[in-house]
Amino acid sequence: MADVSFRGATRYYAGVDRPAVDRLDLEVADGEFLVLVGPSGCGKSTTLRMLAGLEGVDEGQVWIGDRDVTALPPKDRDIAMVFQNYALYPHMTVGENIGFHLKVAKVPRDERERRVRKAAALLGLESYLDRKPARLSGGQRQRVAMGRAIVRQPRVFCMDEPLSNLDAKLRVQTRTQIASLQRRLGVTTVYVTHDQVEAMTMGDRVAVLKDGVLQQCDTPIGLFAKPANLFVAGFIGSPAMNLLPARVDGDSAVIGGHAVRLTRGQRAKLSGDEVMVGVRPEGVDVVDFDDGIPVVVDVVEELGSDQFLYCSFDQAGSGGLVEHAVTARVAGMSPNERGAKVGLLPRREAVHLFDPVTGSRLED
Amino acid sequence: MTVADVGRKAPRRPKPAPGAGRRSPLRVLGMVVVLAFSAFNLLVLYWLIAASFKTPVEIFTKPFALPVRWFQLGRPLRNFAYAWDQAGFGDAFLTTVVLVAASSAAIVLVSAPAAYALTRLGVRGSGPLTNLIAVGMGVPFQTVIIPLFIGLSTVHLTDSLFGLFLVYVALSIPFTVFLLTGFFRSLSDEMEEAAAIDGASPLRTFFAVMLPLARGGLITALILNAIGLWNETLLAIVFLQSQAHFTLARALFTFYGAAEYQSEYGGLIAGVTILVLPMLVLYLVLARRIITGLTLGSGK
Repeated sequence: MADVSFRGATRYYAGVDRPAVDRLDLEVADGEFLVLVGPSGCGKSTTLRMLAGLEGVDEGQVWIGDRDVTALPPKDRDIAMVFQNYALYPHMTVGENIGFHLKVAKVPRDERERRVRKAAALLGLESYLDRKPARLSGGQRQRVAMGRAIVRQPRVFCMDEPLSNLDAKLRVQTRTQIASLQRRLGVTTVYVTHDQVEAMTMGDRVAVLKDGVLQQCDTPIGLFAKPANLFVAGFIGSPAMNLLPARVDGDSAVIGGHAVRLTRGQRAKLSGDEVMVGVRPEGVDVVDFDDGIPVVVDVVEELGSDQFLYCSFDQAGSGGLVEHAVTARVAGMSPNERGAKVGLLPRREAVHLFDPVTGSRLED
Repeated sequence: MTVADVGRKAPRRPKPAPGAGRRSPLRVLGMVVVLAFSAFNLLVLYWLIAASFKTPVEIFTKPFALPVRWFQLGRPLRNFAYAWDQAGFGDAFLTTVVLVAASSAAIVLVSAPAAYALTRLGVRGSGPLTNLIAVGMGVPFQTVIIPLFIGLSTVHLTDSLFGLFLVYVALSIPFTVFLLTGFFRSLSDEMEEAAAIDGASPLRTFFAVMLPLARGGLITALILNAIGLWNETLLAIVFLQSQAHFTLARALFTFYGAAEYQSEYGGLIAGVTILVLPMLVLYLVLARRIITGLTLGSGK
């Protein structure tokens, strides 16, 4: 087990001027579960592959523990990887798949078998050890891929979207299994996903990437409560945070006639006289049309436990109603109807302010 | 099953999708052509096999009747015995089996690592090199026979089975490498990466992971080469002169010349049957595998 650190790690792909991963500085503590998340093409998989040694590092370094592994081939890094499509060897049995590394590493036969059995027992695969992967279900294959990683007792687990090939129900189940297994084994883990729910539920910390640049790395709660910029604010949370442009008038921002107060510090940091007001769907209350931001309800989505209201309102400068501009999350079975005119009142503590030019958060 | 389901029966043949079952004139025409072609080939096959049991008189007077004379005489396999013993097909059969097996194996043994290196190792220039090898497929071997003969004769490898073996292997490499690059390219990168992370060296990755995965491709390459070489005549005629080295196709060629003088048509046709039947059987058994091999790369 060891900590992992990226030090200015940069990766270019042939024929592309913009780096796929740009000067990444990231520390992963010993035993930590770090999730890399972002939209497709953000460089999260490239980052993981640099750590695994499947991808070269053009600038900067990658360290595992107290060793600079930048130039080491994968086999010398003492890492294990779980691939998106599992990459099980189809001509080997489950047992041979799990034990392949040990065989390559010339671990004696009886110890190899003992360790394979132990890993299989941990994952409930004992009765499948003699089967070929083709005769397993998707979830079982996923567990074999996990077993192949576990049996090595590596310093770092690398996981590249290991749940994306499972159906929704199994994914939720496996998600908790992987997280608890990792806590039990205590192996440093870097986990790539594009699914923000996986990121939020599994990670000790979550690193959000966009266009190869690290946007923010924080605990799930930290990301949710204090997004560092507009991208993170919009990416984390579902439905997404409402981001509304507002004009600054004195020490407050005005949205549809409703004023949100700015602190003096926030006002000073602002470069122009416009501000981006962010408020999550669960951070607004439905009030009378005359209070709060006046909106028209376009769509009511009833989920039973929750209700989502997609509303349009007269956004500053847009010269008319903007459809679905604001989403509100209210208690399920509330008596809201399509076409109703209501007011949405952002709760003071739920308001996030961002500079519309730089995109960064204006701290209180 | 509810009460209403009693007496309900699934249709013997489920309805085709709307429009799919329609008989357009083109479809009917195509059907007729295919059926006619198949019937013609079956007829030829029947004629061949029937004739190989007939006397020359029967062959010419009753070409489509069932063989009678040799059965009446109590020697139904007389033609085969003649071809096998008198015309040297027995020895030639053995020679051919050994030569074809050794050549096909050697071809795949040489081509598989080449194809792997060209597709998977990301070596600089592997693209142009693959194309160069593919160009080799476009060179008709007939055009290089004379230089080949002169080259082999200077190293005293004409009229030698080993020499012919070398020629067979060399001339089959372009096609086989090209076929196998298709197979190797269709394998996923993840598998190799998994092997790399598991600590396997490139050599071990090739032998323990990639080669078993490409097994289907290797078998296809073996079969296609075996069929091609089994039927190969021209090179055998040019490079083999002494009867002791004759392959089946080469022996048949000599026998054909002799049979005309001796009116030994029954034996000749039995010889043709000996040449054709093994490949026909092989094809019937392995047809699916061969077709997969030929259409590889046309779809995922």
